[in-house]
Amino acid sequence: MRIFDPHIHMTSRTTDDYERMAAAGVRALVEPAFWLGQPRTNPGSFTDYFDALIGWEPFRASQYGIAHHCTIALNPKEANDPRCREVLAVLPRYLAKDRVVAVGETGYDSMTPEEDEVFAAQLELAREFGLPALVHTPHRDKVVGTRRSLDVVKESGIDPGLVVLDHLNEPTVGEVAGSGCWMGFSIYPDTKMSPDRMVVILREYGLERMLVNSAADWGKSDPLLTLRTGEAMLAAGFSDDDVDRVLWRNPVEFYGQSGRLDLDETDTAATFEGNSILRGGS
Amino acid sequence: MTLRFGYGTNGFANHRLTDALDVIAELGYAGVALTLDHAHLDPYAPDVKDQVARTARLLAERELAVVVETGARYLLDPRRKHAPTFLHDDASRRVDFLKRAIDIAEGLGAEAVSFWAGVRPPHVSAEVAWQLLAEGCAEVVGYAAERGVAAGFEPEPGMLVETLADWFRLRELVGADLKLTLDIGHCRANEPADVAECVRIAGPHLVNVQIDDMRRGVHEHLEFGAGEIDFPPVLRALADTGYRGLVAVELPRHSHAAPDVAARSLSFLRAAQWLGDALHRLRTEPAAIATLLPAARRGVGRAAAEDARVRLLHAAAPSRDEAAELYRYGDNDEKRAVLLACPDPDLLRDALRSNDTRLVAAALGPGARDLPDAEWRQGVLKSVFMGLPLSGVDGLASRADAELGRMLAALRREREAAGRTMPDDAVDLLERLH
Repeated sequence: MRIFDPHIHMTSRTTDDYERMAAAGVRALVEPAFWLGQPRTNPGSFTDYFDALIGWEPFRASQYGIAHHCTIALNPKEANDPRCREVLAVLPRYLAKDRVVAVGETGYDSMTPEEDEVFAAQLELAREFGLPALVHTPHRDKVVGTRRSLDVVKESGIDPGLVVLDHLNEPTVGEVAGSGCWMGFSIYPDTKMSPDRMVVILREYGLERMLVNSAADWGKSDPLLTLRTGEAMLAAGFSDDDVDRVLWRNPVEFYGQSGRLDLDETDTAATFEGNSILRGGS
Repeated sequence: MTLRFGYGTNGFANHRLTDALDVIAELGYAGVALTLDHAHLDPYAPDVKDQVARTARLLAERELAVVVETGARYLLDPRRKHAPTFLHDDASRRVDFLKRAIDIAEGLGAEAVSFWAGVRPPHVSAEVAWQLLAEGCAEVVGYAAERGVAAGFEPEPGMLVETLADWFRLRELVGADLKLTLDIGHCRANEPADVAECVRIAGPHLVNVQIDDMRRGVHEHLEFGAGEIDFPPVLRALADTGYRGLVAVELPRHSHAAPDVAARSLSFLRAAQWLGDALHRLRTEPAAIATLLPAARRGVGRAAAEDARVRLLHAAAPSRDEAAELYRYGDNDEKRAVLLACPDPDLLRDALRSNDTRLVAAALGPGARDLPDAEWRQGVLKSVFMGLPLSGVDGLASRADAELGRMLAALRREREAAGRTMPDDAVDLLERLH
């Protein structure tokens, strides 16, 4: 089984995770820019993080044969902090980088006017750079938040085929299915979505425009739940080709729209800026 | 504005026409410049009408546009190359051939048909030659105009009409229905003006463009990069003229490796066009360097990315602060380009502090001249420590001094104590300094 995890926060994961993911069949991933648990207080904190997303993390992933790409944006939660919003001015520099394959995560957290403004501005950036957009749907008031996100997408004029609404569940998938946008599902150990529930959704809504991710981050999460979902699909009677479509071809198709996916490249440099991931050597 | 690139079938002389069209279309070309020849849609074949219909269908299926070229070498006379021309006694055979070519162009829906003067035979005076040429061209151009086919006349080195100035003279004689086919390579070989300027002069009259590299004074069609033409500004100038016809690669002596040459050529042209557009944009919008610098590899490919970045930086001419920002937000490939193009001592210091061999190497280039001796020596010592070749250190021979020798000797003692060796080039330098 070859797996492309279209949403995982490797910055928060250990090198052991890379090793386990590679062993499980993960060959590619996209790491969206998001919040880090601890709130940031200035734009420099973001840019150092963005630098890691295009520098250190791709290097770390490459040591396990995993192609690492990322998405760049000001996340909706921190969009509410005026000290953080200054980072919007430097986003274009990062959106022009080779391994940046979408604008994201953008969208809503608490549906404030500030979030409205930043969401719309970032969809405009996606249009300007010809990039897809990764839209985070809120944890609270999810149905309303999802509907409102679809409205903002429609108003922006961006092609819905370039947009994924992520963290969907049973109450929200129907809204998105008819919109032309892609549907993202984050499979979590306890919350959001489980492998078995995912299988039921795939049965009902089909495989088209479906993305399954682990969204593993600094919280309780599991980078192998993509694999577990594939296994659950097979157990439920889906074919190997169906699994390959959901776990590989669909994310390749979605992020491939950026024109920047580079899945052949195996950069096997032993060090990044002179630093290796080994211990005891340097 | 995106140019439409094509490929000349005379560069696929060892392919069947159908196969050539397949390869050219698969590579992503927008069209072909079809040279009518004995093996490629022979205008004298008994079934030429059927062949034209079939070729039109092949082109349509592959979504290829077409222009018709008439430069076949031995189609009319198996013994004399290109003969007869307008300037020979039996010029009527040339005119007949060109009329057939015009009929074929009409049948194919070609965007233009292209032709040239021929070399003046020694026994024909210049005055008579011009008269013959004007008469022949008038007949051909009139025939084409009646059929709605654009007639592009090409200046060709060594022929009676070999420069743009000659072409303008001919147009005075023939009239405004005489349009222009321009070979970009010929401009470099043969024209007094620079190539981009030639394109601007030619612009209003163009119906067909051929493209290839060339050297001054040598009429030899070369692959891109093998000649002397700086293509980015040329392609930009061509797009700026408003020309929307095909720009077809003209490499008639590369048929032996046609598929590879055609693939390389299209990559080159796309890269050159990206760079030409980027350089043009920087002229009015230097701040765009912030997004052009990171995008350069996608625009021109990995191998050409560093040179392109350095060129973009020279064009943008950032201030010291702007260069520092580009360096700050750049990945290490972008940082290298900034170090090479804008070697501010503070940036060099930052690079020398890093543990990235590529940055350290770039920091010890020509820009390091402005570093104080003490810092420069530390940089050289670090590069030896990291195993970088000393050949990359600019001005090493003149600047290396006894103090650097002392530092290298100390490093060698440390290495020897640890049972390790020094790189050979560092040992050589050390021995020279003692």
